[in-house]
Amino acid sequence: MDFQLTDEQTMIRDAVRQFAEAEVAPMAAEIDREHRTPLEIIPRLAEQGLLGMFVPAEYGGAALDQLSYIIAVEELARVCATTSVMVEAHNSLAVWPILAYGTDAQKEALLPAMAAGEAMGAFGLTEPGAGTDVAAMTSTARPVDDGYILNGQKVFITGGGYAKTFVVFAKTTSEGPAHRQISAFIVDRDTAGFSVGEGERKMGIRASSTPPLMFSDVYLPKDALLGREGQGFEIAMKTLDGGRIGIAAQGLGIAQGAFEASVDYANQRVQFGRPIGSLQAIQWILADMSTDIEAGRLLTDRAAWLEGNGEPHAKAAAQAKLFCGQLASRVAGQAIQVHGGNGYTEAYPVERAYRDAKITEIYEGTNEVQRLVIAKQVLTERRVGA
Amino acid sequence: MIVAVAYKWAGDAQDAVVRTDGTVDFTRAKAVVSDYDAVAIAVGRKAADALGAELVGICVGGPDAATPMATKSALSRGLDRVVVSAEPGLGGSGPTRTALALADLVKGLGDVAVVFAGDSSIDLGAKMVPAVLGGALGWPTLTDVAGIEVVGAQTRVVRTLGAGVQELKVALPAVLAVATDAAALKAPGMKDVMAAARKPVAKIEVTELGPEGDIVTTAPLDGPARRGIKIDCSDPVSAANQLIESLRADGVLTPAGGRR
Repeated sequence: MDFQLTDEQTMIRDAVRQFAEAEVAPMAAEIDREHRTPLEIIPRLAEQGLLGMFVPAEYGGAALDQLSYIIAVEELARVCATTSVMVEAHNSLAVWPILAYGTDAQKEALLPAMAAGEAMGAFGLTEPGAGTDVAAMTSTARPVDDGYILNGQKVFITGGGYAKTFVVFAKTTSEGPAHRQISAFIVDRDTAGFSVGEGERKMGIRASSTPPLMFSDVYLPKDALLGREGQGFEIAMKTLDGGRIGIAAQGLGIAQGAFEASVDYANQRVQFGRPIGSLQAIQWILADMSTDIEAGRLLTDRAAWLEGNGEPHAKAAAQAKLFCGQLASRVAGQAIQVHGGNGYTEAYPVERAYRDAKITEIYEGTNEVQRLVIAKQVLTERRVGA
Repeated sequence: MIVAVAYKWAGDAQDAVVRTDGTVDFTRAKAVVSDYDAVAIAVGRKAADALGAELVGICVGGPDAATPMATKSALSRGLDRVVVSAEPGLGGSGPTRTALALADLVKGLGDVAVVFAGDSSIDLGAKMVPAVLGGALGWPTLTDVAGIEVVGAQTRVVRTLGAGVQELKVALPAVLAVATDAAALKAPGMKDVMAAARKPVAKIEVTELGPEGDIVTTAPLDGPARRGIKIDCSDPVSAANQLIESLRADGVLTPAGGRR
């Protein structure tokens, strides 16, 4: 086993940390307070290569490995969960499926602009009546002679307020098993009949844009189809397998930031004539936080390594996301406890971390969905093994 | 044509610890390309592009200066290639030995138009290397350089001095030590990091080490004793007024419209 990062991975961690602390951290509290999506950061994210992390060099990307990608997401989340999810959703949920399932023509047409930040991406899967139960979606893409007519509505679409390139899922048939009825499409924001609603005001990741999408008789040409007809469910699930590792990294980053703030606070805050870090009650909390984070990092790194090496990773990704989502909430709560009354105020970043952490237990598959994925895998493995 | 940038693989100032006697301990600091030298690389990149030149990093230091991590870190800052002399005898060496070893590297490069250097090394802070290097090469040497401008065959150098901004015509080749704020320090991008691994690195053996003038320690000058003034912060407005009054009393602040 090798627990050593490569030179490049170490440099990427250092570079993203430097960028995040210099350019992202200073705006994090303000954009949260104002529920304002920081569009001004997009060109800088692109310049740093953070919007084309999986994209091959010939399309203008950085061609990073999976582990480097999650290191970058974690470093961004350490200072700003909103910025990390902007990057994560674009790379994992929009760029990746196009890279994995797109034709050469689709890749050539879309990926350079996506890597350059000129066309941000979004993933249109969730519907008002189809969240965890993806196959219950009601959006349809009715085949016509030269393409499809898309109708329906999507909700909670990360990046929907500013994205240009949407990967959208809809049923192209009502025949056969529900999961074979779904197809994936690439939809441009400027397509006639496509409109974007008002974003939600959320408890956490407040600056992240998550509006509903409405499709009313949207004509899509045949070359808007991503993959094959009926392959949409597979594309969505494979995309989410990778996306889950990104959310695990986001949870880790939120926890890491809250932990570091707690250690600093414990060293500085004096009570009873000494820093509270010298009190065993605080030391135990810090020890638990640190151990949680290290365990989560091992799960996440391994899941990324498996994906990067083409190994089956659905179970590992679900385990990483389940554990890291929960640890993010747990660690952020402990961070507030270390900070006492100060931690309950907006003056300290752990208050924001506590609100931001919760979503990592919900989006891109709830804790309960992760448990289903894990349970299904372990039961199958046991059967195969027996 | 080559534009060279001398850089040091040195302890990260962010990891440095200030001891109780005011001296700075870098022994536990992770090594990085010194921040001041990263500024020199950024200025060198612009100059190389303006001159249509290749940008070559030159480095002397202990064996760790030639590790892949060290050379890739420097290359990710925008250098086209790196030439490094890494010997145990150069590790932690003082400015004279360092500058003479750098001069050997410059002579080996060939058609060098400019050598940029940082304002000083971030750990020793002697501010001597550019001057000794320029002397060893017999080239004009300038410090506090904010940038250079190439207009036709003429090169103008802008310096930021305490008294103002100075613009000079300079005959190349020259050694230019850049001001610490000559360029905004930016983190390398992902593409820069990945490209660094593919750029060339040459390791040059040093046959003869120059004379050494070791810096034993650097301690701060004695300043006025701390007076331990405490401001009650329970009322923020009152606290701010107390701070302003205190700073005025010390002559740090002057009334609005006044001059120190």
